[in-house]
Amino acid sequence: MKHDDPKLIDALAAEYVLGTLRGRARRRFERWRREWHVERRVQAWEDRLSGLALRLTPMRPSPHVWSQIEKRIGAQPTASSGTRTRPARPSRWRALAASIAILAVLAGGFATWRLMQAPDFLPLVTIVGEGATAPAWEIHGDASLRHLRAVAGAGATAQAGRSYELWALPDSGAAPVSLGLMPVTGQIDRELTEAQAAALQASSRVAVSLEPEGGSPTGAPTGPVLFVAERARV
Amino acid sequence: MAPKAPQSAGRSPAPSPDSDRDDAELTRLIAACATRDSRALRQLYDRTASQLLACMMRILKRRALAEEALQDVFVSIWQRAGQFEIRRGRPRAWLMSIARYRAIDVLRSERAELYREAEIEQLPQLVTEGAMDWAGAGRSAAALARCFELLSADQRRGIELAFVEGASHADIARVTRQPLGTVKSWIRRGLASLRQCLER
Repeated sequence: MKHDDPKLIDALAAEYVLGTLRGRARRRFERWRREWHVERRVQAWEDRLSGLALRLTPMRPSPHVWSQIEKRIGAQPTASSGTRTRPARPSRWRALAASIAILAVLAGGFATWRLMQAPDFLPLVTIVGEGATAPAWEIHGDASLRHLRAVAGAGATAQAGRSYELWALPDSGAAPVSLGLMPVTGQIDRELTEAQAAALQASSRVAVSLEPEGGSPTGAPTGPVLFVAERARV
Repeated sequence: MAPKAPQSAGRSPAPSPDSDRDDAELTRLIAACATRDSRALRQLYDRTASQLLACMMRILKRRALAEEALQDVFVSIWQRAGQFEIRRGRPRAWLMSIARYRAIDVLRSERAELYREAEIEQLPQLVTEGAMDWAGAGRSAAALARCFELLSADQRRGIELAFVEGASHADIARVTRQPLGTVKSWIRRGLASLRQCLER
């Protein structure tokens, strides 16, 4: 399959979304969706076509459906209020959802951190894997967001031949902008380019994706997105 | 295969003034799910489960099967909520897609058992003529309805059978008594025209 023919990709994306792409071709295309340029086309078709099915008369699910969902995500019954739930327990869906574990943890204890850090670095975000007890990374930035410091935590695990890459996700919905690779041990201080800093300023969220060693070859996320997290405002 | 021909899209429904607010609220709830807030998942369920179940019922034709698949869908939404952040786009389209793909996957493995008449009678119906505003789909739905009307009747039928009923090329060929190649080309051309019209 030619990987860079936009017409072919778009035609496959359309039939994938429509549902007429079946069997092995469908499975193969699903794997291909991890590439950003493919996923964008899928999304465009989803947005285009979804209205066709939104016209169905709604059908209320039986009460047991929700209680099963609650059980499977490991939530407390929703009657009790206020508490955040523990991350989902492993399930067959966990395996299906592959390595997409997402947990956004806003940097807490702002004041404490402020005292502990060098004066010009403020905590931006702490990234913790789903079900993990230790953070994978803590990311700090200065007020101008021109300087970033990424500190690897115990939760960051090296993967042979792969690198973790940090992305700014502009609120405008524009394409993610790479902010460089993440360390798996120790810390990295990095000066961002003006364009990177501007992208980060315009983004309230950041993401980490798993890329080939040395980072994404295309300038856009190509591997699975492992984490998406909201950053603190500095 | 399909017991009833789906009705055509009808005239463009009026855009819903609430659709942007609906999008914003769903986006907020999905973001809260990404931070493991199970109450947000419950609210998302209250707002969308009936619609997603209707869509899965049309594909799977059996309530027990559709409801089991609906559970999978919400567990998946819970686990993948963070991914929505990176793609953006319309939240209802995202949710609907997760539901449809799941239903299509189930369809693949359960095909032989499907289509029992008694249950087929209770399928959700397509609402036409703006009786419902395409459930908050708003402006984009109005554009889709307008462009859909411009397709040939065969193209419309093929695309609707596939999207709403989960019909494969072969299913559509059987229902419409047309050669497979003809059906494939209706759909391919129909999708291309739809895209061209929507981008104008």
